[in-house]
Amino acid sequence: MSPETLALVIVVVTALGFDFTNGFHDTGNAMATSIATGALTPRVAVALSAVLNLVGAFLSVEVALTVTNAVIKVQSSDGTPLTEFTGSGADKLLMIILAGLVGGIVWNLLTWLLGLPSSSSHALFGGLIGAAVAGLGFSGVNWVGDGSALDGVVGKVILPAVLSPVVAGAVAALATWLVYRITVGVAERFVRDGFRWGQVGTASLVSLAHGTGDAQKTMGVITLALIASGHWTDTANIPLWVKVVCAVAIASGTWIGGWRIIRTLGKGLVEIDSPQGMAAEASSAVTILASSHLGFALSTTHVATGSILGTGLGRPGAEVRWSVAMRMVTAWVITLPAAAVVGAIMFGVGRLFGDVGGPIVVLAILIALAGFIYARSRHEPVDANNVNDEWDGMPTPSGGTLAGTAGGVA
Amino acid sequence: MNALEASAFVKDLGYTLDGAWKVLLAGLILGAGLCAVYAVGIRGMALSAAGSGEAGQGGQGGRQGNAIGYVIAGVCLLIVLYGIVSGIMIVLGSGLGKDVTFDHVIPMFTEKS
Repeated sequence: MSPETLALVIVVVTALGFDFTNGFHDTGNAMATSIATGALTPRVAVALSAVLNLVGAFLSVEVALTVTNAVIKVQSSDGTPLTEFTGSGADKLLMIILAGLVGGIVWNLLTWLLGLPSSSSHALFGGLIGAAVAGLGFSGVNWVGDGSALDGVVGKVILPAVLSPVVAGAVAALATWLVYRITVGVAERFVRDGFRWGQVGTASLVSLAHGTGDAQKTMGVITLALIASGHWTDTANIPLWVKVVCAVAIASGTWIGGWRIIRTLGKGLVEIDSPQGMAAEASSAVTILASSHLGFALSTTHVATGSILGTGLGRPGAEVRWSVAMRMVTAWVITLPAAAVVGAIMFGVGRLFGDVGGPIVVLAILIALAGFIYARSRHEPVDANNVNDEWDGMPTPSGGTLAGTAGGVA
Repeated sequence: MNALEASAFVKDLGYTLDGAWKVLLAGLILGAGLCAVYAVGIRGMALSAAGSGEAGQGGQGGRQGNAIGYVIAGVCLLIVLYGIVSGIMIVLGSGLGKDVTFDHVIPMFTEKS
């Protein structure tokens, strides 16, 4: 195996690792509400979500190869690497991609450990931005686009992040309020059972949309790496094996469950009943689909969380744990810079060890960090059996729960 | 930030607010709207259960409650199904790289403009 191929293999494996973390990070967006109300048992919910994510990922026939153009300047408008990254410059591009992926993975794992729903897209973009700044300087980043269309870090990452939860929250609040008004006086069993079916339907739609939208990112990144290292030339299609492994990676991650995050979304923010659950997922589904239909980028996590908060506001007498919400928003705000810092450091470290040693060292560091985080998570594990237990506070890295995030009334 | 970047930033702000407004409208009408329709359908189901679905009511008007209830529930279900199928079409469309139009009420795929 030549050194270039080894570097490529490491990039591909790491990209699939990111896809896997993307899977379990986002399971909760679709299924947390259904699990919390009992509409679906935990294991059935994650299995259903995994299957739909798999189907959705395979549905991605037209994949945007230009995935990194939204935030950094390494690709031209047709998806091929810029000339400075071809030939001998390919190693630098591979390291930017690798460091970016590691930044995204580390942030995803850390937020998972803390039970914080955060955007995997932002984590990936943050990592790429950090690596690009380290390798190319600030001008290597696409900050605002050129004004002809929504583009750049500001246009495709930050502004949607600020507005999408607000929009989703407003829609969910109205939906919840309407639903409760309309079903006043109806017997409990009709409401509970009827809306449980509604929950399953809307949650399934969110999972399908997620699979179609999110697996594409990794497919695009892997294909870029293949093109840069000369193993692929078609910019209009991605290799079939790339689509298969990315679909399997995101579906497997979804199936593993991300229970810590599911718990926060389903029990930690708002105590949810089935009408609220359906309103939340319906709001998420419509927001995601309307945005994608209009060509806007957004994070499913921000939308789903906004929806759940909205249902807390829309139902008279519902309890919203603002301490948990604030902690989450803080995580969202620092996602981009935090992942960027990791990406930048990884790029710097990787370049110290040359074209072969660099990727190997970076991968080794990633595995070590991942192992450490996983070990910490075993201090107080959350799984299918205790995901619906009474809420007692946010998890902390050393086990136990965080004071001030249990109980509390709106 | 230079002048070019500042103007692009302002334009981005404009595009985003414009887009957010559209998504909000779609969400309120379709998202909240379809949930409301679904809720009416559930009320219809309760009505169809011979009057015993309404909390606190006796069994009066059983047969009439039955028929109307089923009709209401049925119509609502159809509307909601239309919404779900449209949603699935939009997901499929985004994956296949096609647009979805509602020109003929029924959602259909077309080539992207």
